Amino acid sequence: MSTTHSHAPLEESPLTEFEVLELAVRELAIEKGLFSADDHRRFSEWAEARTYTVGSRMTARSWLDPAFKERLLSNGTETSKEVGVDWLQPTGQGTPSDYTFFYVLENTPKVHNVIVCTLCSCYPRPVLGMSPDWYRTPNYRRRMVRWPRQVLAEFGLHLPPDVEVRVHDSNQKSRFMVMPMRPEGTDGWNEDQLAAIVTRDCLIGVALPRADVTASQVPKQPKGRSGGKKR
Amino acid sequence: MKTMTPRFQVGDRVTVRDATTMFHTRTQGFTRGQTGTVVEHRPAWIVPEDEAFGIMENGRYTPFYVVRFKQTDLWPDYTGFEVDTLETECSEMWLEPAGKGKK
Amino acid sequence: MSGGNRPYDVLMSTLGDVEERTSADLVCGERTPAPWESAMQATCECLSSGGTLDNLERRQAEDRLGESVYARFPVHTRSALIVAHSLMDRDVITEEELRAKMKEVRARLEMV
Repeated sequence: MSTTHSHAPLEESPLTEFEVLELAVRELAIEKGLFSADDHRRFSEWAEARTYTVGSRMTARSWLDPAFKERLLSNGTETSKEVGVDWLQPTGQGTPSDYTFFYVLENTPKVHNVIVCTLCSCYPRPVLGMSPDWYRTPNYRRRMVRWPRQVLAEFGLHLPPDVEVRVHDSNQKSRFMVMPMRPEGTDGWNEDQLAAIVTRDCLIGVALPRADVTASQVPKQPKGRSGGKKR
Repeated sequence: MKTMTPRFQVGDRVTVRDATTMFHTRTQGFTRGQTGTVVEHRPAWIVPEDEAFGIMENGRYTPFYVVRFKQTDLWPDYTGFEVDTLETECSEMWLEPAGKGKK
Repeated sequence: MSGGNRPYDVLMSTLGDVEERTSADLVCGERTPAPWESAMQATCECLSSGGTLDNLERRQAEDRLGESVYARFPVHTRSALIVAHSLMDRDVITEEELRAKMKEVRARLEMV
């Protein structure tokens, strides 16, 4: 487990140099006419409203409603509108890094899907929000395509040899989200209960949902957090 | 989005061209020269080589495909299992029928 | 593609403010993004859609420079560093301009 910057006391330092740098770059760009303050505000507003709970919701609803699942798998872009996500926003063509073709990858007992973008860090932001730091590191991007089982094991996910690990390198216009299988022990649960256990990492494909784990729970100590590196 | 008649069908074996390029591309180095199977069609789109230079109006449209590779084909020393695969999308201009040219 | 590989002093001096990256571990614990990070992301989108700095080129520069001249900075600071670096490299802004603007911004924010 890394002990480096996991507890960076950002809240305690009221003004950071990066806050200053961000604002300085933005203001210089606006002064030079590269874009307007309103352009920036619209992109910010849009980006900040994104959260992975949309992906959780879509997954939970799919588990309960086969017709919804069918629509989602056959036309992800269009079906996203049913949960309030329009991939064409905010510009009418999506943002320069969020294109308009969205595909949901369904896990089965024989196939486990996982997403990566080796060329940059394409990520389905409209349904998953901002990507985790590690998703953007060359470490993850280069190794996931080459040693997927090793990387998954580092996240604590060990899959049997007869399960096909299918890595999706999102290199073009499409964006992907993994739809995990509904875990044991969730019989009779409603959509909200189910959505709570579909965490971000499950939707990327580096974890599997469990009936006893939600993203809002504090991970159990002292065995290390879920996703902690095994030595 | 335009509809175009794709040259390859689902199930076809295709080889990614082993071209080096000085231009903007989204074809990864590790798929070049590799053979895989077309598993899905994607909507036609302007090729990234043109889009990157802002040629949106009269850029070249081409069908796109999802191609599935066996990991053991991509990496000779692959440490996972035989069943493992990798999928990625290729524009038609980067693909040729398997067996033509070099394997 | 920006070709400059020399670090800019104005950027290196921000290092004092973050915990240095000492490990290239993949999983480094959860971190709540600071508000400036999403603002930075919006700046990246604006620059890319306006044609000043393409997102893919920026990401490639983040990889290249983030693993070399700015290797001591945590991953989440890369976009800010590399956007600033690239704009200076391309003579869109100068280092002096950036330094002066940062001073002005800092003074303004510290007033409250």
